[in-house]
Amino acid sequence: MTDKFNPYLFKYAYGVLLRSFSKNLFIFITLTLLVALLSATLFLSSSIKNEYTTRVSNQADIIITNQKAMQYRTFNLNQLQRVLNIEGVKSARGRLYGAYYFEKADKKLNIIALDEFESYSNRLLDETNTELEGASMILSAQAKNLLEEYYYKEYFNFIKENGSLRKVPIKGILKSKDIQKRENLILMRSELFRDIFDMDEREISDISVTVSNPDEVAFIAQKLEEIFPNAKIALKKDTLVVYERSYNLKSGFFLSIFIVSFFTFFIIIYDKLSGVSSHEKKEIGVLKALGWRVRDVLEAKFYEALLLSLGAYILGTFLALLYVYLFNGAILLDIFLSQNDTLHHVAISFTPSIASMILVFLLSVPPYIFATIIPSWRVATTDADEVMR
Amino acid sequence: MIELKHISKYYEKNIKALDDVNLSFKEGELIVLKGVSGSGKSTILSLIAGLTKPSRGEVIVDTKHISKLADHFISLYRRENIGFVFQRYNLIPSLSVKENILLPLLPMKLKKEELERRVVEVTELFKIADKKESLVKNLSGGEQQRVAIARSNVNSPKIILADEPTANLDETLSLEFIAMIEELKSKNRTIIIATHDPLFFNLAFVDRVVNIKQGKIV
Amino acid sequence: MTFIKLLFTLSLTVQLFANSEISNAIKEKQIYPMGKKIHTSRCPSLDISKFKTYEALLSAIKEKHICSNLNTKHSEALSIYLWDKQVKKQVKELPKITITKDEKCQVCGMYLHYYPTWVSQINYPKGETYKFDGIKDMMKFYFNNKEGIVDIFVQDYYSLKTLNAHDAYYVLGSDVLGPMGNELIAFKDKKSAKVFFFDHRGKKLLSFDELTAPMVHNLDR
Repeated sequence: MTDKFNPYLFKYAYGVLLRSFSKNLFIFITLTLLVALLSATLFLSSSIKNEYTTRVSNQADIIITNQKAMQYRTFNLNQLQRVLNIEGVKSARGRLYGAYYFEKADKKLNIIALDEFESYSNRLLDETNTELEGASMILSAQAKNLLEEYYYKEYFNFIKENGSLRKVPIKGILKSKDIQKRENLILMRSELFRDIFDMDEREISDISVTVSNPDEVAFIAQKLEEIFPNAKIALKKDTLVVYERSYNLKSGFFLSIFIVSFFTFFIIIYDKLSGVSSHEKKEIGVLKALGWRVRDVLEAKFYEALLLSLGAYILGTFLALLYVYLFNGAILLDIFLSQNDTLHHVAISFTPSIASMILVFLLSVPPYIFATIIPSWRVATTDADEVMR
Repeated sequence: MIELKHISKYYEKNIKALDDVNLSFKEGELIVLKGVSGSGKSTILSLIAGLTKPSRGEVIVDTKHISKLADHFISLYRRENIGFVFQRYNLIPSLSVKENILLPLLPMKLKKEELERRVVEVTELFKIADKKESLVKNLSGGEQQRVAIARSNVNSPKIILADEPTANLDETLSLEFIAMIEELKSKNRTIIIATHDPLFFNLAFVDRVVNIKQGKIV
Repeated sequence: MTFIKLLFTLSLTVQLFANSEISNAIKEKQIYPMGKKIHTSRCPSLDISKFKTYEALLSAIKEKHICSNLNTKHSEALSIYLWDKQVKKQVKELPKITITKDEKCQVCGMYLHYYPTWVSQINYPKGETYKFDGIKDMMKFYFNNKEGIVDIFVQDYYSLKTLNAHDAYYVLGSDVLGPMGNELIAFKDKKSAKVFFFDHRGKKLLSFDELTAPMVHNLDR
């Protein structure tokens, strides 16, 4: 391959690009932006996919939520024990969580209660569990900022059901990167939670079930349906399907972005395909007259197109990477997420999808090169004596 | 060594550029094709250079039937044997003299030293060596002419073809051009000039003048 | 006389394990893990040998706070864990059957890593080992190669823990199909085997010694 590369033709091609500088600059910028937009979209969607896949894999196999008249209600520990007695259930935990309405700020504070001696599979919860002390709480950065806005720096007063206050000192902030900064989250001990919300020590919010053998999950779900006919039984694999359906590429927003990108792109391609400018025609004629073969003309044209499109691709991809992983896809990500309320926050980890990059490459560089070479080929193969006139 | 046998060339709209032309040229000859614009003389140059194919007849150069060759081989033939000076030079203004001169050689992947050598040789021959790095657009008409002729020689062609080379030049520059042609003649190149400039008609070193009128030899 | 002895032994057994109203399942899945966590984080060096009864231990933990101040639930968990731990003999868990990406079933040649929950294993001397994508294929191999076997390992269906095949119980012809179709499913005890037998419409429930070659081959019909 290296002996086929002609550095002189390559340099010549570069010169040709510079000669129509403003036109080529326009194409370059447009291509770069298109590549960047497409890539950013694909990176974000793969990040979202990674996020919900990890989330789901960390999730318990089955989550049972109690209902009465299709309205949510709590479980009690006896019911939990019935679940534990089912063969095949590896563990079942009564989860305790809820939300507190912070009236002054008109905001909801999400609270998860942790039992000191429970082991949690969620890393965030497990780490925080060891940090919590007595009757204090640990907040997310967003929650901390919110409380500080209302002058609660070291503690917060929860208003209990009976109207009395429970003062809770703030121990610290959640350090884990797993939580998006946007969420108002508070973690505290179960005893404290029960006191604030006046919940009996036998009450639990819902039950999360882990099953050792994946083959038995569906059957155990069936058993649970029989034991708790009114409850909602959510299976991990169903959650995955829900997420997938929400965020797969068929979603309207992604589609519209793609359409716009392709449309713009095809305009460029069409313009290129519809013919070579007379100026370029003359130049090709001269080169032919000087002894360039069709192959040489096309090779130079190839380098020309390659430089432009590959350069735009590299720059565009780089910009997209910067945007998604450094700026966390600001604005665009919010738009994606607000379409659905299953995922409230996404931690963007640096795992750029190679498949996306290859896809964008195939959609941008080869078509552009193709669109440049075809009309030039047509010109190069006609008689060059037009040059004489 | 150049033969045109029963050449006819038609273009669209029934334009007959050449009508049953028969010509032959010997090696080292300097021939002037005399005729007005549209007489067909440019077409003859095109045919010899292989830039176009005859509608009828054959073009044979050094026993090669170039009118029958495929584009790939014609281009090679052209690269190795033909040097062309265009009427409007067809130089690339934004490139330097050196870059313009090297243009025909770019596909050949020669060594850098070889390219340098040829540039030096040809710029010195045509007295444009001091302007090697200057951009063509910054040169005077006469200088550009010299670049054009230098370019046509960089591949050491056996045949030099010039189409109305002095059409846009004043007398001084025209004479300078003629001097350069004389120089080339002394190197035993076959030179064919298509022109209606009377300066060429009575030159001593011209071997033959061929009159072309409306596609026929008169 | 024998009746009184029986009553006495019965009462002893009842008192041997703490709080026998709580099922074994709940103990294993919930109470022991919690108790262990309390023990290791709050009072790892607590000596309970001086307590003669479970109730005494519970009282000491709950009221006298010999292991820091714990609420009722935690006190109970710790007590049960500590009390039962000294009674139960420490059973060493068998190692999990590992599979690499290129290991295949000895009988049918299928890649094992697609079916990790179904793999079983037979060990011969000098490290000679064969793995199978189900107990059916393993038994087919077993009946022809009984000589010199060192170990046979299967996985308990419900917990996926490794079992010694000779100690396990098997349900045949259930509606749970393995990679080779109808299978023998293994269980660590008769109790869980019975639950499965009922839930999944098993045809036979047998111990290892009761298994015969024709039985195994019949599964393929």
